[in-house]
Amino acid sequence: MPTKPPRSGLLQGTLDLLILRTLLFGPLHGHGIAKHIQRTSEDVLLVEHGSLYPALHRLEKSGCIASRWEQTERGREMRLYRLTAKGRRQLTFEESRWKELARAMARILKPV
Amino acid sequence: MPNDRDEELKREIDTHLELEAKERIEEGLSADEARAAARRAFGNALRTREDVEAVWSWTWLREVHQDAMYGVRMLAKDWGFAVVAIVTLALGIGANSAMFAVADATLLRPLPFPDPDRLVMISEMRRNGSSGGQVNPLDLVDWIERNRSFEGMAAVLAGQTSITGAEGTAEPVNSQAVTTRFFDVLGIKPIAGRTFVAADDEASRVVVLGEAFWRRHFDGEPTVIGRQVRLGGQMFTAIGVVPSSFQLDTPGFPGFGPTSIWTVQGHPRARGPAERYPHYLPVIGRLKPGVAIEAARSEMASISDALAAETPATNKGHRATVDPLRQRLISQELRLTSLLLLGVVGFVLLMCCANIANLLLARTSARARELAVRSALGAGRLRIVRQLLTESLVLAAVGGVLGMAVGAAILRVAPSLVPTGLLPTLFPLVFDLRVLTFCLVTTFVVAILSALAPAWQATGMSLVHVMSLDTRTSTGASSKLRRGLAIAEVAVAVLLLCGAGLLLRTLLTLEDVDAGDRAGDLLTTRVSPGMDRTPDAMRQFYAAIEGAVRDAPGVRDVAWGSALPLEGRFYGQSFEIDGDPPRPQGDRDSTGYQIVSPNYFRLLGVSVLEGRDFTDADSTEAPQVCIVDEAFVRRYLKGRMPIGTRVLVNAMVQPPRAVLREIVGVVKHIKERPDEREAQPQLYVPIAQNTWWLASLVVQPASGPAAALAPTVRAAMARVDRDRPLQIQTLTGIRTLATARPRFRAVLVGAFAVLALILAVVGVFGVLAYSVQQRTREFGVRVALGANASSVLRLVIASAGGVIGIGIAIGLVAAAVLSRSISTFLFGVQPLDPITFVLVPLVLIATATIAVAAPAWRAARVDPVVAFRAE
Repeated sequence: MPTKPPRSGLLQGTLDLLILRTLLFGPLHGHGIAKHIQRTSEDVLLVEHGSLYPALHRLEKSGCIASRWEQTERGREMRLYRLTAKGRRQLTFEESRWKELARAMARILKPV
Repeated sequence: MPNDRDEELKREIDTHLELEAKERIEEGLSADEARAAARRAFGNALRTREDVEAVWSWTWLREVHQDAMYGVRMLAKDWGFAVVAIVTLALGIGANSAMFAVADATLLRPLPFPDPDRLVMISEMRRNGSSGGQVNPLDLVDWIERNRSFEGMAAVLAGQTSITGAEGTAEPVNSQAVTTRFFDVLGIKPIAGRTFVAADDEASRVVVLGEAFWRRHFDGEPTVIGRQVRLGGQMFTAIGVVPSSFQLDTPGFPGFGPTSIWTVQGHPRARGPAERYPHYLPVIGRLKPGVAIEAARSEMASISDALAAETPATNKGHRATVDPLRQRLISQELRLTSLLLLGVVGFVLLMCCANIANLLLARTSARARELAVRSALGAGRLRIVRQLLTESLVLAAVGGVLGMAVGAAILRVAPSLVPTGLLPTLFPLVFDLRVLTFCLVTTFVVAILSALAPAWQATGMSLVHVMSLDTRTSTGASSKLRRGLAIAEVAVAVLLLCGAGLLLRTLLTLEDVDAGDRAGDLLTTRVSPGMDRTPDAMRQFYAAIEGAVRDAPGVRDVAWGSALPLEGRFYGQSFEIDGDPPRPQGDRDSTGYQIVSPNYFRLLGVSVLEGRDFTDADSTEAPQVCIVDEAFVRRYLKGRMPIGTRVLVNAMVQPPRAVLREIVGVVKHIKERPDEREAQPQLYVPIAQNTWWLASLVVQPASGPAAALAPTVRAAMARVDRDRPLQIQTLTGIRTLATARPRFRAVLVGAFAVLALILAVVGVFGVLAYSVQQRTREFGVRVALGANASSVLRLVIASAGGVIGIGIAIGLVAAAVLSRSISTFLFGVQPLDPITFVLVPLVLIATATIAVAAPAWRAARVDPVVAFRAE
């Protein structure tokens, strides 16, 4: 059965990596994570915001991030996500793998 | 908790959209535009929520649960369809499960004894075939002494006795007289007291009770052990109780019913050569562990050969053979009947599936739009198939549960409908775990089969197709499928009807068979003075009975016989023709031997072809005479004058001896069974000259039906002896019993064939009605263009005719091929019987016409204006 491509347009693992990296700088809510990825990649990555949430929940299920509800100054209730120790370790691991992959790709795609 | 999670997520998404919208507003969009932009940026919120749910749950299970709930809601809306489908399924699954219980008992299940593979039956075959495999008791003793392959051997004899209650009335009790190792060989442990030991013998008058009998007559009290019980007029000591789960049909004597008590067999009083003549014991045995049946067979063959060498006068030509007990208890006929019924019922279930599939196909077409939208919204093909499958599974599950109830009910009722002796009492028919498992598996398979066609059709639908209301093309594949199913149903109905037709014709032929007698309505009962009286005492007993019954009001005449027409009893004796070179016992010919009174042939209307009937002059002291039948003359008296020829035939007495008798008459042959293909020669002897301990009393009423005379006869006999149980039958009743099995088969297969016919007609109707509805616009166009009603009618009928015609053709071919496999059940009818094969298609066309009538009528009255309006 042919699987539909993930809505983010990226492989599932890459979105997880992006989220973990984003949270390295401190806890954020869902919208913030989306905007951050969008801005820093100059709109190249992340097609739909909605695709973020299943990834967030997956990461929470596997223990890489944790969430809690907080009240902002304006009285709005928001869910903040933060990186856990396990998440930090996973980030390091994924980052090094991604860099290796990029190096390998670069070698293969070297101009003739 | 999932709801909480979903609530939280909804809030989170709302917040997300608010924030995004705010940003867009700051960029300069209006409030509405900003919200729309935010939503677009987010994507499908519903999908998000579904995906998040999927992360936290077992997706597969959750989706199945969703589908099931959805399926239930859909079915509740369309409850008419649901009810029809569920009832159809319940009947189909129920009937199948019940039939599986029968097939399981006869074909699959091992005997319900410990280590059943080691149980065998040991038979003694004579070259001239006259012993029926039964064993002589002295031979048995020698076998037990000399064998090394067997852990034990035992013999069992079926019998009937009576228990006399406190009020003095006798109630019949089925008994088995067994040798002392019987229960050990079968591995049965008592639930109270003990079973037989070597020290027990006939004289000690001990009895083992069955649990059901114990509970019924002694309230299940353990104090019955050691008490005296009055059986057959004598006192026995009860020594133990065996569980009610234990039953063993006496091999070769089916139809006795469950045994209630067990007594010890008597041994022959002497050990002389004469005691080796009679062969009447069925013998079972248990092989030692690790001994192969072939090894046992060759050992028994050599033992019996040794005996033949030691006592050639009696044992020459005898050979012992060993067969698995299961094979001997469950006849080939029973096995084939089970297979036949299982096949028939299986076909009917398939037809139920086809009808349900048709219904589902119709529904799927109706739901085309809904399914296409779902498909467009992202439900994968597999998801839709799974959803349809789940719906079908819900239907099947409800149908299956009801089916279990139906099956259990059928099994409860079955024993009273099934002719006695057809099913061994060995396996009570219960709805147990095996049948339940079969029921569940069937339900599952039915669900899948029924859903296959519609699911396949549904996934091929595209949104564009359906939305454009282009219904003409969208039903192409599905209507072919439905036609195919209808054709298949017609074919199966034809097949089953042909089978039923053949069996019915067999039954009618058998019922009309000329048994050789012209008896009217006669009453009959087995009478026995008991085995331990002298011949004179027995003669007196019979005379007393005859006198009492003859004097009873309403009785015109009374006679004695031994094997009545079509009763299926056979007593064989060996004989020699006087003047021929003498032969040793084992080499002699054998004949049927019957003991009758002088007016027997007259009462039964059997013609005396030559010579004379017996008279009162043929008394004990008079010259010993006999009468033979035409089969005897044909086989043994070629080229001789029957009258005056003398035969030396073994009388039925203890100790056995041969008597020289002169043939004084030849009578017409009386059939032992309706489907008797080869006439067995019979020799008749006057009752005054050979009195045996068993006889059949035949009573002719002065007027009115014989059955009405039963109480009178019973009372008359009770005056002579109140301890003898009575089983009173009529000759017509015996005849009906003789055709019990063919009748059972014909009725059952016939009932299912009628059911199949109904299902097929419904199927054809469904297909036709749907097709007419689909082609309404086409018919409207035709009528508008000038066609008249009859030409439209012709179109419809041609379409129906195609389905029915092809179905009949396929069905007839299948019937022609398969009818050979039931040839063992047929009598007087060819497997390719032309009458059946012509009548069945006619019946089908006639009933199908009913199905075709309504849709054809509707088609003919199509109003083009109405047809062109939007559907």
